[in-house]
This record gives sequence, C-alpha cells and structure tokens, in this order.
Amino acid sequence: MRKLEHFEELETLRKKVVAQRGKIRSTVIICGGSGCQATRCLSVIDAVKKEIVKQGLDHEVLLRTTGCHGFCEQGPLMVVEPDNFFYCHLTAADAQEIVSSTLKNGKVVDRLLYTDPLTGKKIKTEAEIPFYSAQYRQLLKYNKLLDPCSIEDYIAAGGYKALAKTLTGISPKAVIEEIKSSGLRGRGGGGFPTGRKWAEARSVPEDEKYVVCNADEGDPGAYMDRCVLEANPHLVIEGMMIGAWALGARQGYVYVRKEYPLAVKHVKLAVKQAREMGILGENILGSSFCFDVEVARGGGAFVCGESTALMASLEGKVGEPRPKDIHTVKEGLWNKPTVLNNVETWANVPSIILNGSGWFASKGTRGSKGTKIFALTGQVKNTGLVEIAMGTMLHDIIFKIGGGPKNGKAIKAVQAGGPSGGCLPVSKFDIPVDFDTLYKMGSMMGSGGMVVMDEGTCMVDLAKYFLKFLQDESCGKCVPCRVGVDRMLEIVTDIAEGRGSREQISLLQELAETVAETSLCALGKTAPNPVLSTMRYFADEYAAHVDEKRCPAGVCKELIHYDILADKCTGCGVCLRSCPHDAIKGEKKTVHAIDEQICRKCGICVTECKFDAIAVV
Amino acid sequence: MNHWHYMCILTAFTFIILTGSQTLINNKLMREVRMSMPTIDPILEGRRSQPGQLIEVLQDVQEICGYIPADAMKTVAKELGVPLMEVYRVANFYKAFTLKPRGKNVITICTGTACHVRGSDLLIDQVKGQLQLEPGETTKDGTFTVECVNCLGACALAPIVVQNGSYLDHMTPGKLRRIIDKTRGAKRKEASDA
Amino acid sequence: MQTVTLTIDGSPVRTAKGSSVLDAALEWGICIPHLCHVPSLKDTGACRICIVENVRNGESKVTASCTLTAQEGMVIRTNTEKIQKFRRNIAELLVAQAPNSKAIQDVAVRCGVKEVRYPFRNDNCIQCGRCVRYCTEMWRANALGFVGRGKNRRVEFPFATRPDFCKNCGSCTLYCPMSVTPCGGPMKRGEESLCGKCESQTVTAPGMIGACTRCDLGKGFQCTRHML
Repeated sequence: MRKLEHFEELETLRKKVVAQRGKIRSTVIICGGSGCQATRCLSVIDAVKKEIVKQGLDHEVLLRTTGCHGFCEQGPLMVVEPDNFFYCHLTAADAQEIVSSTLKNGKVVDRLLYTDPLTGKKIKTEAEIPFYSAQYRQLLKYNKLLDPCSIEDYIAAGGYKALAKTLTGISPKAVIEEIKSSGLRGRGGGGFPTGRKWAEARSVPEDEKYVVCNADEGDPGAYMDRCVLEANPHLVIEGMMIGAWALGARQGYVYVRKEYPLAVKHVKLAVKQAREMGILGENILGSSFCFDVEVARGGGAFVCGESTALMASLEGKVGEPRPKDIHTVKEGLWNKPTVLNNVETWANVPSIILNGSGWFASKGTRGSKGTKIFALTGQVKNTGLVEIAMGTMLHDIIFKIGGGPKNGKAIKAVQAGGPSGGCLPVSKFDIPVDFDTLYKMGSMMGSGGMVVMDEGTCMVDLAKYFLKFLQDESCGKCVPCRVGVDRMLEIVTDIAEGRGSREQISLLQELAETVAETSLCALGKTAPNPVLSTMRYFADEYAAHVDEKRCPAGVCKELIHYDILADKCTGCGVCLRSCPHDAIKGEKKTVHAIDEQICRKCGICVTECKFDAIAVV
Repeated sequence: MNHWHYMCILTAFTFIILTGSQTLINNKLMREVRMSMPTIDPILEGRRSQPGQLIEVLQDVQEICGYIPADAMKTVAKELGVPLMEVYRVANFYKAFTLKPRGKNVITICTGTACHVRGSDLLIDQVKGQLQLEPGETTKDGTFTVECVNCLGACALAPIVVQNGSYLDHMTPGKLRRIIDKTRGAKRKEASDA
Repeated sequence: MQTVTLTIDGSPVRTAKGSSVLDAALEWGICIPHLCHVPSLKDTGACRICIVENVRNGESKVTASCTLTAQEGMVIRTNTEKIQKFRRNIAELLVAQAPNSKAIQDVAVRCGVKEVRYPFRNDNCIQCGRCVRYCTEMWRANALGFVGRGKNRRVEFPFATRPDFCKNCGSCTLYCPMSVTPCGGPMKRGEESLCGKCESQTVTAPGMIGACTRCDLGKGFQCTRHML
C-alpha cells in the first residue's frame, strides 16, 4: 500500500477506486460477522467464491465479505446487487444455484428468499423487508457497502472525507462548537453531552491528553458496538481522530473486550492499514496533526466498562473504579485529561462534520438528537440490530420492527439498558424512546440492549438473574455493592424460593435505595435498578411469591412441579432418556411418571417432549 | 602392532562412540524437555520494564500456555518491574486468566440476558448432570472444562455454546448432550486406536 | 500554607488546601464516623461510613468525605436524616457480616443500629484494607493485597503463602479491626448477635451526636484524635 502524502492524493485514490468499482456488473455481498460465522457463513463464502470462478464470472462479479448487517437470526445472508435481492438461511450447497440463476441470468431463487413472519409471504428485495424498512439506518447502512478488511472500500464509500475537511479548514474550537450544537449525547449509557465533555477536556492546561474508545460492551444482550467495530472500524477511527484534533491529543486507545475476537482483529487490521497509508502517524496527509491508535484487549470484566476502571485496566492494573469527584476529563488515563466515549458516539462524529450539526439535530426529540442502534432480542419474531431516530415509539420498535411475540405467548415487558437499566411493562409501551423519557419511567437507555419478555418470564427470577450477574461482576471494593448486592440477592432468592415475607419486601426497598445512593461507582449505583423497576411495575408477581408461594410464570423451581399428562403421553421414552437425573420412570408405550423426590426441575424433559405432554404446575 | 594394541584401540574406539552417542541422546532429550515447557521470552520482547503492558503480556501467556503458571507470574513480575503481588492480583481479577490448566475441550455457555431468557439455565443443568461439574471446573480425566461467559454478542442466535472456539447456535439441552457424547466417543476411539 | 474555607453543618471550617473533607471535619471536632480511614495512609473510600451530603446548586449528592477534596465554598452536611439512615444501613450490613469484633459492633451502635434484619454471617474480614495499605504504602513490602472480585475478594499473600519479602512488622494484625474481640468473648457460629453493650459514650448523650467525646470508638482503630 502506498503512503499518501497529501489530502489531494486521498481524493485521487478515492476517484480511482470508485471508477474501478463502477466497471463491475454485479456485486454479491455476504455477511461475515460473528453471528453469521456461528451459522457457518464461511463455508458459504468459500463455495460461492469457487462457483463464481468455475462458471467464469470472476471478471464481472465482485464478491464482498462484509461485517455484521444486524439481522443475525436470518444468517447466513446475502444481498445481490444491482437488483437488491435478499437471500437468507444459506448453506454451501446453495452456491451453485445462486451463481447460475441469479448472477448469470438475473433470475431470483424463490426458496432462498426471506419469509415475512407476519404475512407468510416471500419478499424479494432487502429494501422491502419490514424489519429493515421501518428502521432509520444512518450508521448501519454502510455495513454492506464495504469490506472491513479493506481501507480502499472505506475510502470509496466516502471515508476520511470528514477528517480531510477538519484538518484543512476547521479549528479545534469550531469542531467542539459543531458537536455541541448537534446535541450528540454519549451512546454508552450515561448520555452525557459529548460537546460539553470535549470542551471541558480541552480547557485543561495540559500538554498530554488522550482519547479512548470504550468498546467493552459488557451489557449482556447488547452487541451494537461489536457490529460497528466488525463492519466499519475505520468509521470509529475517523471519529476518534476528529476528537483528538479538537482536544489536542496525540494518542488514542481502543479498548475492546476479549470476547469479541473478530472485532479485535478488524480494528487492529484497520489501524495497520491506516498507518501504512499515512492516515495515522506523524504529519497526517501533510498536515501538522500527529496521532496514533493502540488497540487493547479487555480481560473479561464487566466493571471495566466503567470509565475509571477501564483506564485502570489500560494502565495494566486491576479494574477497580475510583471515586469520580474529580472527573476523568481533568485527571483520567495516567492522571492526564482524557476523553472517553463509546463506539457509537465516535461513529456519529464524521457524519456530523460532513453534513453539519443542523442535519444531525433535525432528527430525534428536544433532549435526544440523532439515531440510536438498539439490540432487540428475546421473545420477538425479528431479533437483531435496530437503528431508529430518537423519539420512535417503543411500541413500534417491538411490534412493527420486532414483529410481535415469538412463541405465541403475550409480550409482558421489555428490559432496556441491561443490568443497569429497568424493565417496562407492556402497558407503558406507548412512550417515545429517548434518554429522558426512559429515565423518568425508571428504566434507562443504557448502551442499547432491549430484551423482550413474554408471559413465560418470571420478573422475580429476572431480578434474581441481574443481581447474580452484578454480584459476579462487582469489583468488591465498596461495602454497599459487595455486601448490599449480595444481601439483595439473598432476599430475592428467599422470595423466589417461597420463603419471602412482607417485611423482606420493605427491607429490599430500603436496601436498594441505600445501595443506589452510597455506592462508589455507577455499577453499584445502578445495581438496584432491575429490583426497583420490577417491584414498581410487577408488585403483583412479588406478592404472589410472598403471599401465595406461587410463581405465576411457572419458572421458580421451588414453587412448581412437573406433571406428565396421561392423556397426551405416548410412552415414547424420550423424556426418560434425556433426564440427566434419572427421575422419570415408565415402561415403553405406557404413560411415564416423574418422581418428585428426585426431579430437579431442570426443564429438559419439557423441551425434549414432542407431544407437549409435560405440564408445569 | 600386536593383538594387545588392537584391543586397546578397539576399546577406546567403542568408548568414544558410546559416550558420543550418549551425549547426543542427552542433548536431544534436553531440547525436547525445553520445548515442552513453552518459553515466554518472545512475549516479553519489547515490553520489559513497562508495567502498563502487564495485562497484554498475561493475555499472551494465557494463549500460549493455556493458563498462567506460577513461574510465569514470577518472571513477568521481574521483567516488567511490577511487584509480584500486583501480578498475582491482576491474574486473579480478570476472567480471561485461569490459574489452572484447562481440559482438552473447553465448553463455554453464554449466560447473557438474551440467552437466559431463551433457557441457558437448562444448558448449565444439563452439563452439571452429564459431566458432574460446576461451571469453572474441569473433569478429572482432563477431557472437559465448562465455563460460563456473560454475553458473547451473538444474542439473536441464543442460546449460544462455544466449543473450543466454534460457536454453536440455538442450543438445546438435547443437542448439548449429544455433542458431549460425540466428543467423548471420539476421545475413547482415539485412546483405543493408540 | 494555602488554606480553603468550607461550611460543615453550618460552621465555617478552615483547612489546608488539599485536605479531605473528613480530615477537615475531624480537625475541628466534628466527628464523622469512619472505618477504613487511617490518618497516615491514602484514603480509598471503601467502607462508605463517612458519607456526607455535598450541596451544590441546590442539589445534594451523597459522597464519601474521605475521598472528597475540600474546596473553597463547599457546603457539607454530615448528619441529615438521609445520611443517618444510609450510614445506619451500611453499618447494619457490616455488623451482619462480621459481628465477632468489638470495633465493628461499636461502629454499628455508634451509627444508630438497633436491630439487625439480616441473617448473621461470621466473616473474619470486612475488607477495610488497612492491612494492605500499611503493607504497601508504609512498609513497601507488597506482601498483602486484595485478590479476586466481588464476593470472592479476599486479602491474601501471593499464592496464599507468606512470601520471604514479608517484613514481619506485624502491622497487619495490629491495625485490624477484627483483632479486637467482643468483651464477652468470641461469639459461637449460629449464636451471633448485636451485643450493643460496649457502646461508645456518644450514644448515651443524644444531644452530642457529631461532636467528639473521646469515645471508646477510637480504641479499636488507633484513632489518634483523642491524643490531640
């Protein structure tokens, strides 16, 4: 790769690549993200590659492996341009037909098309799929346009234009003013106004400053950052560079959690290619700006998503947070002014510089501008990454985009914001999704995780799950979090196992309030949120567990037992064989029975039985 | 030269051959022993006396050795200029580091929210019953290690189980049971073939 | 020496620049209860007993006074009803974890704990960190440290064995609150209770909450204030 010495050379290269791409007749785009790799997309990519060569089409057809498109449950998936055909659930065996029918003759292969779960009809093009069309894919739309391992693809798609514009004509102060007037707020969970953060850091009289990208997406159920980093790492790097210019920083860090090996690989490669091309390093593209990026891997700790813990981890120490009475913009990494922002926050910066703050602020609500990517998962028909303008109604996200309930059971609630957030009952779905509204309702935008629950989820069990998670991930330094969360878990476990009392519920409330206000860091401060929000909206479930010793959703093991229904059991013996505790007895072709003394209520027999003959009572 | 001379020369010659080959054999054994204990010198290259590199260094040690040996911690402490207590603390704090060698097959069950809501608890129960293991433990014969992880970011395909780096989607307890049986069967076949 | 003046509980307090709010208060005889604070060592804000309300722009934020640097014009409240409730709850959590220490019992009673609403446990360590900080900051031996995370966090030697670089100074045992046994002797497992007998004098003088009365609280902690 040749090093570029000046901005004009970047433009020349851009024009050259675009012209080259223009000669291609047809492009086959296959998603190579982690989700699709789990469904074996690599064998599909390999097969299609071989077929294209075999059928002599390698000069007219371009095969592009991209990062995650966000519609993971349909993977492995493919988009064929110029017709925009969308094929899903692919296997390597489909390659031959795709190449011969669609690529050679432009004919669509019906059986590979997406079936709309609501209408049952097949849909031809990607643009017509309701999951995609109901979104506002401002950031995610680039994912299918480029191969994350090719910096040239990024440049052809308009990459580093914002950087060039900044370095050739926008002063650092002007950049900060632009970000301020755009109304961009942190996308990692805190929602702090980004422009204000940058301005505070810039005002500190210190030569050594840092920019950090927080890619330690620890919220279980959230994978927006993974998607952006895997699919478009240069976008994040460009955002960081503009931020570093505004701040006066020469060094940046991307802290990626270790559980995202593909994201680590793509960011490292992007940094390497940018260095080779002269976009990172000394005197970038002929300017006076010097900047470089280092990629650090997380060690497997949710608490390292907290900014002071992350910085401690970057310094090679244990990830224990420190009190934030002095903000990290004044004393952060190595006690120097540091701007730490989330992946999605950085990814929004280039387009704000290119299109102006007014453009960004034209979408969204008064207090929350722009778009946000959410990870919609759980018991909905269409799971995946959803990018919408702030202010979109929650009901539309879950029922229109999500397609409503998955298993026929009614939707009961949605957990927004991960373990730091709260749940919202279905009766409260008629709200616009933005920072302030969610906060007022006792929930939180958080990083963007949205897990949908149906009648089969017990809210007490959910509170127990989150408390266990937080107890596991707590660093353990301060008493309210280390001991308080543990005691909250003890009480909720008592309630879930039928030993709860009314006094315990009021004690739980008081303890939750204490932990929320006295903990040292945000992990402890937000730890009581799942408990407080479930108690607020689902008090009846808590009451049933305490007063009637009953679990309405049929989940809490001590309060349920399994029964084999005599009128449905065929005596096939599948349950007997699959029980890991040998609790089922019965002769072939006769009704089986579960020994309650041995049964551990693991639920394996229920999922294995093909006749729905086992009921939870 | 008489008979006696020939005998001396022959004895001396045999002696030289024997000691020579013995030395050769010893050297080969020494090399093999040294190779079976992976050296962490290349990891320390360019990072000596840099305390900030501690976590990156330990990540590489974990990858190469499969765990963090006590001796490696002592070496890292010395070479990086970090107190041994600090190295020990970092190795214990992060889930990425294990202090004991893991089994041949590492089965990681994702316990993120999306996976939990779709029944990851059942997978943990299945593995507890089938392998008599709590998460974090290794079977006595070293075949399986079971671990839990708090979200891998493949939530749309929940529940997820990772076996030796390969992602398995939409897992059910039945599928997991069959996979473990198949792996066990393959190992038994390997052992009986050997 | 540069000084700053702040308001604590309505009284103007002048202290050296760079002092913590806790130090400033203790200097002036306003006794904010504390546990992990030791005068010569760095404060970490681990126990959260020394919490106060920091009033700014009409809003009050609860924060630990040992890690809060005193600034000119700060308004601090150490004994509001909210603070008393939180402090009481935290002390209750502590005494439920480790009732077998006179010092912990004393802190609990001093903070107003009348009953313990959690099942008692019998831990040997409340992770105040005094031993670790003496070892690391005072003696520079680095033989003790906090190992593990969350519930599994514990104070340990490297590889759980006393290293040869331990200086055998004895500070870890001398300054440990758990080394002061209850006056009635160690409580048996299953028979733990909040004894409330060896309470500090401040509790018997309700009007004097917040003022230092040279209480017995200091005995377990080497509190040096009564030597001033």
